[in-house]
Amino acid sequence: MSPKATQKNRPPVSQINEQGAGGLAKDILMTLDRVTKTYIMGEVTVEALKETSLDIYAGEIVVILGPSGSGKSTLLNIMGGMDQPTGGEVYFGRENLSQAGDARLTAYRRDSVGFVFQFYNLIPDLTAGENVELAANLVENPLSTALVLKDVGMETRMDHFPSQLSGGEQQRVSIARAVVKNPRLLLCDEPTGSLDYKTGRLILGLLAAINKERGSTVVIVTHNAPIGAMADRVVRMSSGAVVEIMENRDPLPPEKVEW
Amino acid sequence: MKDAASMMPEPETFGIVMVPHNQAQQILDLSGQVNQVVIKLAPGTDEKKAAEQVKVLLEPYGNLADYPRKQQLSDAILHMELEQLSAMAVFLPTIFLGIAALIQFVMLGRMVRAQRLQIGVMKALGYSNPSILLHYTGYALVAAVAGALLGSVLGVIFANLFSSVYAVFFNLPQAIGGINFKAIFYGFSLSVIVGTIAGLTASRGVISVNPAESMNPAPPKSSGRIFLERWSWLWHRFGISWKMSLRTINRNRFRSAVTLIGVVLAVAMLVVALFTRDIVDYMINRCYFEEQRYDYMLRFTTPVKETELFNITRLDGVIKAEPVFEIPVRIHFMELVREDLVLGLPPGVSLKKLYSPAGKIQDIPGEGLLISETTAKKLHAKPGDKVTVETLLGLGPSHLSEIKIAGVNRQLVGGCSAISLASANRLLQESSLISGAMLKTDTGQAALLEKKLNEMTGIASISSRQKELDSFNKKLGYMVYSITIMISFAVVLGFAIVYNSSIMSFTERKRELASLRVVGFTTGEVSGLLLKENLAQLALGIILGLPCGRFLAHAYINAVNTDLYTFQAVIYPVTYVLSALGGIIFIMIAYGLAVKGVKRLDLVEVLKTRD
Repeated sequence: MSPKATQKNRPPVSQINEQGAGGLAKDILMTLDRVTKTYIMGEVTVEALKETSLDIYAGEIVVILGPSGSGKSTLLNIMGGMDQPTGGEVYFGRENLSQAGDARLTAYRRDSVGFVFQFYNLIPDLTAGENVELAANLVENPLSTALVLKDVGMETRMDHFPSQLSGGEQQRVSIARAVVKNPRLLLCDEPTGSLDYKTGRLILGLLAAINKERGSTVVIVTHNAPIGAMADRVVRMSSGAVVEIMENRDPLPPEKVEW
Repeated sequence: MKDAASMMPEPETFGIVMVPHNQAQQILDLSGQVNQVVIKLAPGTDEKKAAEQVKVLLEPYGNLADYPRKQQLSDAILHMELEQLSAMAVFLPTIFLGIAALIQFVMLGRMVRAQRLQIGVMKALGYSNPSILLHYTGYALVAAVAGALLGSVLGVIFANLFSSVYAVFFNLPQAIGGINFKAIFYGFSLSVIVGTIAGLTASRGVISVNPAESMNPAPPKSSGRIFLERWSWLWHRFGISWKMSLRTINRNRFRSAVTLIGVVLAVAMLVVALFTRDIVDYMINRCYFEEQRYDYMLRFTTPVKETELFNITRLDGVIKAEPVFEIPVRIHFMELVREDLVLGLPPGVSLKKLYSPAGKIQDIPGEGLLISETTAKKLHAKPGDKVTVETLLGLGPSHLSEIKIAGVNRQLVGGCSAISLASANRLLQESSLISGAMLKTDTGQAALLEKKLNEMTGIASISSRQKELDSFNKKLGYMVYSITIMISFAVVLGFAIVYNSSIMSFTERKRELASLRVVGFTTGEVSGLLLKENLAQLALGIILGLPCGRFLAHAYINAVNTDLYTFQAVIYPVTYVLSALGGIIFIMIAYGLAVKGVKRLDLVEVLKTRD
């Protein structure tokens, strides 16, 4: 890869604020350095990520925006240790994840990452409470299951099975499941994608509250541009590359976000 | 077969030679004489009445006994074999066809459910419900016809293979078999009918969904509480992963039941297959080492004085000789009659032991009859009853004596009533006569002794335990063959079911398992969850399979027990252990497949796709 191409895919220098949001010096939680991802599908090679570089700061809310096929989910998957990059480096703190094996990536997901999916992916055979407890059992110092469920407003529904819950309720349980491990990084893939406007806003409110109260770094991937208004930073992606990183000095509270 | 006391035909030592009867008369110098009349009755004739008339007719010539065909040894043995075969011919295919149908239903149902989205698209494009039904039923039909074709070819090959083995076993001049078109027709019909029904039932549920809905991801599978949760003290003891596994089994009741049936049947069939080995082992041990403790049994051409035994005792190689007096008799009790053999044995006999039905060694009573269990049952007689014994020895007149039943004895092969040697003589109004001798010999000198015995006059037959055992062991080859077939069936059956259901279960749960991996479960932990499900099924499969096998074994024994053979449903503990082990192997194969799948699970791919 030529330096020119690298240059081309990096966001304009003026837009990178090493000080982080609000101008205060922030710790870098994760670094993606010239990360590429290519898929070979039959006879076609698809470049899902072209040399993409991005830093994620501890404690911020980042919204990654982009249309379908822009590479935002691929980026999220690599950040979450669900997928390995074809090229480039991924650092979580000082650890290089791009060289990590399956066991190490599993440990990383277990200890440091919480996932929230568009389709919730709850275990159908466990009640809401048990779904959260299952995740809590994975780490040494989890938060209290009851407390987390109370935080997401599901304390009265904890004995219900996923099939007995609405989409919004399932997503709340899914957030509780991600949060109970007290992860440093909360990754959300289209968390409002299957929800109505009102419920979607409620979910965003929960994510913002978790960020504020627990200090978790929250990365939200969405194609819904107005959600960017609640972020500390907005990363725009297109055709497998970061095209813009915008700092939002005055994020809106989620209840004021409209779409 | 030589007599009812033989367990197997012994062509080396016993055979029947057919010659024109005038030639036989010439050779034996008995011109114009016969000693047996064979009668074929016209259809519809009253057998008893005809027998009575023949008896009256032959009475002046010394009619000793008449046997209807079903009481003849060769007929009884052949019938037993054929009955076993026809029982197998119903038992095995029923199980197999049932399971095959079940698998087809489960597989097609799963396939159609997985194609929910495609069905939605087809409907959105304007395909009608009947055309969608036709599409999936057509698929099932093509599979059914292809399966039937392949099955017919394999069936013909296997049928010929089996019939050539049967031809050897039954000593048939040429292989039976060929192509059974009726069976092929039935096979095709069954396959097509089951395929059609499975195709229709599978697609029926999905076509009722409206197109927009079927293009949305399926709602979460509805789970619920299981009966165990009613006992909260117990339920709370289970960890979350056990709760999950148990509820998963409950949610997929039908599929779990199919797997369970597979394991139960496989374990049960293994019990049946292995237990035949137990019975034979038990019977050999019981007959040749516990009941019959002699190495040779000599039978004299005519009864001789007991003192003659001395001539045999002094032969080199004879360690011990004990007399025996065998008398064919007819035993009467109330209105019932049965032919039997009475064995006169000296008190304190050591070379032949008789056992009570409870398995205890019985001493020969000084007075009274130790009646055989089969005879006692036929006559409805019990100890203490007085029966009339009519002797049927070829020499001299018949004698009738009344004798009290002192006890009942059970012998596994043949079976005869026993009496003291003195009482046997009294039956014939004789004294000190014997008809044969039992010998305990020095194995080192067996060959020489046998040669000497063969040279002695007055000895009609010599049965050697070693020769009987050798010939028996040779015949065991066939038994091993049929056990192998049974075991292979059990293996194929168990594997087919468990493999199918575990593949299906894995495919359906890919998403769930992938989300567990994403949350941070290691492949080992996810496999552990699957193992718990498998273990629960395994435990239940073995708990139900072993008694089921025991039940089948008993049913099998009851079906094949005859007057001649009393098989004991003996199942050694090792059989249960091996059968359970078989079940464990099947489940572990299934588990291994699932683990392989978990390791290969592409998290991104699985979570990206919609259910």
